[in-house]
Amino acid sequence: MKSLRTRTITLVALVGVLALGLSACGSSSSSSGSSNKEATIKVAPGILTPTSESQTGGKKGGTLTVYDHEDFENLDPGQSYFSLDYEVENAVNRPLYSYKPNTFSDVTPDTAASAPEISADAKTVTVHIRQGIHFSPPVNREVTSKDVEYAIDRATNPNVPNPYFPGYFAALTGFEKAKGGPFPGVTTPDKSTIVFHLDKPLGQIVAEALVLPASAPVPEEYAKKYDAMKPSQYANYQVATGPYMLKANSEGKVLGTGYQPGKSATLVRNPNWQASTDFRPAYLDQINISIGGDTSVIARQTLEGSHTLQNDTPAQSIVKLAYEKYRSQLEISPGAGSRYIALDNHKGPFTNENLRKAYSAAVDRTAMDKARGGELVTNVMTHFIFPEIPGFDEAGGLTGPKFDFNEHPSGDIAVAEKYMKLAGYPSGKYTGSATLQVVGSTGSPASEDAEIANQTLKTLGFKTKLNLVDQSVMYAKFCGVPAEEIDVCPNVGWVADFGDGQAVLQVPFSGKTISPSGNPNWGQVNIPKINKAIEAAEPIVGKDARAKAWGKIDEELVEHAVVVPYDWDKQPNIESKDVAGVGDLWNIGSWDYSFTSLK
Amino acid sequence: MPGSAGDLAFLDAGGEIAARSPLQLFWRRFRKDRVALGSLVFIVLLIVMAIAAPLVVSALGLPSPYTQNSNLTDSFGSPLGPSGGHPFGVDPLGQDIMSRTIYGSRVALEVGIFGTAIATVIGVVIGMAAGFYRGWVDTLLSRFIDVVLSIPLLLLGLGIGAACAVRGCIGGAIQPGLGVIIFLIALANWTYVARIVRGLVLSLREREFVDASRALGASNLRIMFREILPNLVAPIIVYATLSIPLNILLEAALSFLGVGIRPPTASWGQMIAAATPIFNTAWWYMTFPGVALLLTVLAFNLLGDGLRDALNPRSA
Repeated sequence: MKSLRTRTITLVALVGVLALGLSACGSSSSSSGSSNKEATIKVAPGILTPTSESQTGGKKGGTLTVYDHEDFENLDPGQSYFSLDYEVENAVNRPLYSYKPNTFSDVTPDTAASAPEISADAKTVTVHIRQGIHFSPPVNREVTSKDVEYAIDRATNPNVPNPYFPGYFAALTGFEKAKGGPFPGVTTPDKSTIVFHLDKPLGQIVAEALVLPASAPVPEEYAKKYDAMKPSQYANYQVATGPYMLKANSEGKVLGTGYQPGKSATLVRNPNWQASTDFRPAYLDQINISIGGDTSVIARQTLEGSHTLQNDTPAQSIVKLAYEKYRSQLEISPGAGSRYIALDNHKGPFTNENLRKAYSAAVDRTAMDKARGGELVTNVMTHFIFPEIPGFDEAGGLTGPKFDFNEHPSGDIAVAEKYMKLAGYPSGKYTGSATLQVVGSTGSPASEDAEIANQTLKTLGFKTKLNLVDQSVMYAKFCGVPAEEIDVCPNVGWVADFGDGQAVLQVPFSGKTISPSGNPNWGQVNIPKINKAIEAAEPIVGKDARAKAWGKIDEELVEHAVVVPYDWDKQPNIESKDVAGVGDLWNIGSWDYSFTSLK
Repeated sequence: MPGSAGDLAFLDAGGEIAARSPLQLFWRRFRKDRVALGSLVFIVLLIVMAIAAPLVVSALGLPSPYTQNSNLTDSFGSPLGPSGGHPFGVDPLGQDIMSRTIYGSRVALEVGIFGTAIATVIGVVIGMAAGFYRGWVDTLLSRFIDVVLSIPLLLLGLGIGAACAVRGCIGGAIQPGLGVIIFLIALANWTYVARIVRGLVLSLREREFVDASRALGASNLRIMFREILPNLVAPIIVYATLSIPLNILLEAALSFLGVGIRPPTASWGQMIAAATPIFNTAWWYMTFPGVALLLTVLAFNLLGDGLRDALNPRSA
């Protein structure tokens, strides 16, 4: 069972704002910034979730074993973009800002000492660096603003291909010409201050992006020789600033010591880390990550074993088993992304808005979610901004905007027929000649969702051709290529990089993002009114104002039935009975090694 | 001593000597083989059921194989097992497995019978040409057969499945699905038929009746199809019957690997593939299509054995 875990399918949102809502620096108190929500996704009673798991009072010491069917993609802080990689990054590298496990909207200064200062013209962002953070051996020295500058510089190095950097940092002065060396967009007036200079008033973009691992300090004098290689070898020799480090030999080499591709990774304590500089409690002494193996076997080893966590998404049958027999060992994280049926808004029958509405009304979203494992791991999706992200309530909360074609999660054929008639099909059935191309993803439960989506099309009288291909092929060759003219993509989904409405809506629904290949706007949604609203909402400052603006856009997307949302995912995770695992809400529920402890 | 009138008395006492055609001889031998006869009955019933699948399904009071029903899964999305309304249980989409198993016989038989028939026709024509003309024709065709035999079939199937998904290849001429499976089966099988036929023709063409018809001025084509071909019928039927089950299994394998029959069309191989990950919790999903596949393949194999014994007693 493949879930939205792969970050690479999610791409990036282009702009975001943080600024407000920074909690007190280094404080361990976890004031819930999202307490004003009227409704949120509920997890079954007795089930652990990142918002209920205790972040304090864990037992110190011990070695944790983590089983990972999948290998990491890239452990370089300048390149990693995958929830599993983020698990390690979050324990070994400290970006300027970070999320605590229980939030996806409030950031905490990490390598930074305080909130970023954004100038009145929004063209300058100033960040002060915390004192007392040291690199792990063999570098050992204290971190300065120069190290953050180098981390940003190297993200423009062709040897360090960063997947999101151009999206968030393109407004930096001199960005286009930067090739890894210093460029005018980033300066360090003193050793504890770093300043970002922008050509456009998009200070919020940069401020928001500083939660990504590319802002974690990298020592230039040590890393430069590795970054000169093509591709950079820094990941294999990396040093840490976080409570843990990938085990390394005396020269700092990680490859073959702390990381053996396809086999294992080992995290040990960073001897130079000082608890007083960090909000992470770091209870564990060591984390052994074992790569490979069969996910079902891993799940059973974890459920019945000791001091063990499973990192992969367990199969539905395992989740059921865990719920029935090992309930206290099951963690479920809400807000793990969204899934929807993309409809081709540009060509073919679904250019007709009434046909889209008819199909939206007919789709049995509860059945699609049931095929994914039922309410335990899904929640009927009624609009686009996820729960936990500002704008969710403004767009209607759990029940969503009130439109008749959106109000019946189990499908309503009468409403569907009403819109079929409005679309010009008086019999209530589609009588056109088009055969719809439906491309879904292989493997349960995606294939089941694709079959339900396909069967619903047939119920409305459409002729269809259903093809199931590997998920990466589905995105790369079909759903992300407008020229392929795929009418229906039932298995697309989105995970946001930030807790901001723009991170959810802008890339998949702005007409500006449509591109001939790798197109992330799978429905080719291109409605002038919505494009304008998106443009107007991008520079808005202030959490509430943004929530309102993006919530409104969300509602308009539903009003035009651009695509058919069906699942706000919940991520199930499994732990041994003697592990107090803590998941990260912001990282689709993946484990946080710095907060997890042994019982 | 032979020759006395008494020795021949049985001719009068035992009644007339009937002239029996080869078909009658075959039938007399075949009907004594109860296993083969039972298999034949099973296969005939299977064929009738496949042709009349919609009638059978509605007569049994089952839903259509494409009826999805999320009420037939538990709150975790796990399918419910056999019950009165669904004797074989349902799959994760709430589709009736008995209904889908019945419809699955259509794919199995279509692939088995048509695939084998095409392979046999091609194999006979090419094998006969190679064996009859010998010389460079034989060399050319035999080397061609060697080339075709070296094509890794499953890999080719996987390749076509990957490369031709959605839009098809060669302007949509090749589309994964029933057509490609039948094509692959024909491709895989005609070579064996051709080799067998070639060997038989090589010896038959030296026989006196061939010389006789040539002396009478018969054309090559007439000799091949009117004189030699009837002598090949028995081995061809036996070989074809025995390769039908292999082809049904190949279809199941290709569908299992995801390059065969596309959902929502029901195919046994694809059902078994979909059932594999949840075998622990839904044994019925894999068991019933599996048993159907097993019985069908077994029946064709037993029938083939029976035919071989009846048509060619020397090999028994």
